[in-house]
Amino acid sequence: MNNTIIDLQLPLSPEQAGSLKLGDLVTVSGLMFTGRSRFHIRAVNEDIVPPLDFSTVNCFFHTGPVMRKTAQGWETVSIEPTSSIRFEKYSGQVIRKLGIRTLIGKTTMGPDTAAALKEVSGVHLSKIGICGNMLSNQVHKVIDVFFLDELGKTEATWLIEVEQFGPFFVDIDAHGRNYFSELKQLTESRKPEAYQNLHISADFEYTDVNG
Amino acid sequence: MIPVSLLEEVMYESMRRAAVYMPSDVTLFLQKALEKEHEPLAHEHLAATLRNADMAGKGKGLICADTGFPLYFITADQHTEIEGGFSSLWKAARSAVIRATEENFLRPTMVDPISRKNPGNNLGKAIPAIDLSFIDTDMHTGSLEIIAAPKGGGSEIFGTFYRMMYPADGREGILKFIYDSVIESCYAGKVCPPAIVGVGIGGTADICMHMAKKAAVLRPIGSRNTDKDTADMEMLLEKAFLDADIGPMGAKGTYAVMGVHIEKEVTHTAALPVAVNAQCCIGRRWKATVRDDLKVTYSGDFYE
Repeated sequence: MNNTIIDLQLPLSPEQAGSLKLGDLVTVSGLMFTGRSRFHIRAVNEDIVPPLDFSTVNCFFHTGPVMRKTAQGWETVSIEPTSSIRFEKYSGQVIRKLGIRTLIGKTTMGPDTAAALKEVSGVHLSKIGICGNMLSNQVHKVIDVFFLDELGKTEATWLIEVEQFGPFFVDIDAHGRNYFSELKQLTESRKPEAYQNLHISADFEYTDVNG
Repeated sequence: MIPVSLLEEVMYESMRRAAVYMPSDVTLFLQKALEKEHEPLAHEHLAATLRNADMAGKGKGLICADTGFPLYFITADQHTEIEGGFSSLWKAARSAVIRATEENFLRPTMVDPISRKNPGNNLGKAIPAIDLSFIDTDMHTGSLEIIAAPKGGGSEIFGTFYRMMYPADGREGILKFIYDSVIESCYAGKVCPPAIVGVGIGGTADICMHMAKKAAVLRPIGSRNTDKDTADMEMLLEKAFLDADIGPMGAKGTYAVMGVHIEKEVTHTAALPVAVNAQCCIGRRWKATVRDDLKVTYSGDFYE
């Protein structure tokens, strides 16, 4: 792992996306929008997306922030990345439809998202630890909110401007590689020895009651 | 007699504290793991989580923005008296959760499962959930212990497993099911490792899962089941997870698990139900004790 943190200007250029390696630590600066399950389902099934120019607002942050309304407007209390893997069913379609090149979230995503990111030359960035308070401090401005009445504060789309937001690490690069699926091969390879240490016989099978 | 107004205040305050303070056993574990975790990414995950909790404790946010399912675990004894009877607990819990949500200590997260509509107050028919137990003792006369545990989505969604096994599957089946479930839940940091792994063995399906949940949420890290055979399984599994090459937030590392807590109950002679329910790395829970003289104490120390 390279310990220097690279600050990425949003929207991320295809060239810069292509240069990022798995495990790179990055921050991002610029505009991003938020969304989670409802965003994905509505974008694909109902063709409902917020009225944004996605060529400039090109970073999709998977989160449901805790928001507080003040006399000056909305502010973030804490903004924690949520598990991106839950959106795998629709994410590839959203990336292709909107041309999204930066995804930020928790966990990782699956093969279709990785393929879509490769097509648009984009990356998925995964969070470091529990970090919602630090990220909240790096939100420069809450610019707008969409679908607040229909979806509520957690699922609404927030348009925010951030400065050196992160760090995150590159878990899916623009070439289709995934940090976690590569690590999974290692974890799987450890299983036979773990079973042995747990005194589980190599040929153990659960009782089958369905013939 | 404990007045409803005090009950509302204590249930709100325990939930608020759970949302902003990390319990001491969790902090201690994460600090020790940080010293020993040499994989750079795994190390960073732990350092960030501790920094984040520190900020929350100083009034700059929440331990985690996903405040999840609002749960209360309440213990009374044979002398505990509550104004309006024990049903006041449910009323007080609802008003406490409404207030904590309005004040942004709880995120409005609870939605209708089908329509996905969000009422914005985290209330449902059985949410906030109350687990009420009674102890018959002369030691705690008339007191009420309330533990507030906002349980995050990562742990509840990705860390819940149940399997009905059979007597022939035995100990091998139990250990394999727990090991495989936990490794799956830690993939890519889904369950937010290092996790506290709660396991229930026996009972009915719901008793089994409830044991697992209470073992994950309530037992202090490092505690052992008093039954030697069960404690041996806990230690054997903890050792196996240390050797699994998976660590904090699913990165390559050592500490994917803070502890394995197993509870058991008698079950049907034909059955071997096993449930896993994990708690995430922030181990959110805070305890309030209301004595019969109405003195209230709050504590995040679960060792006492």
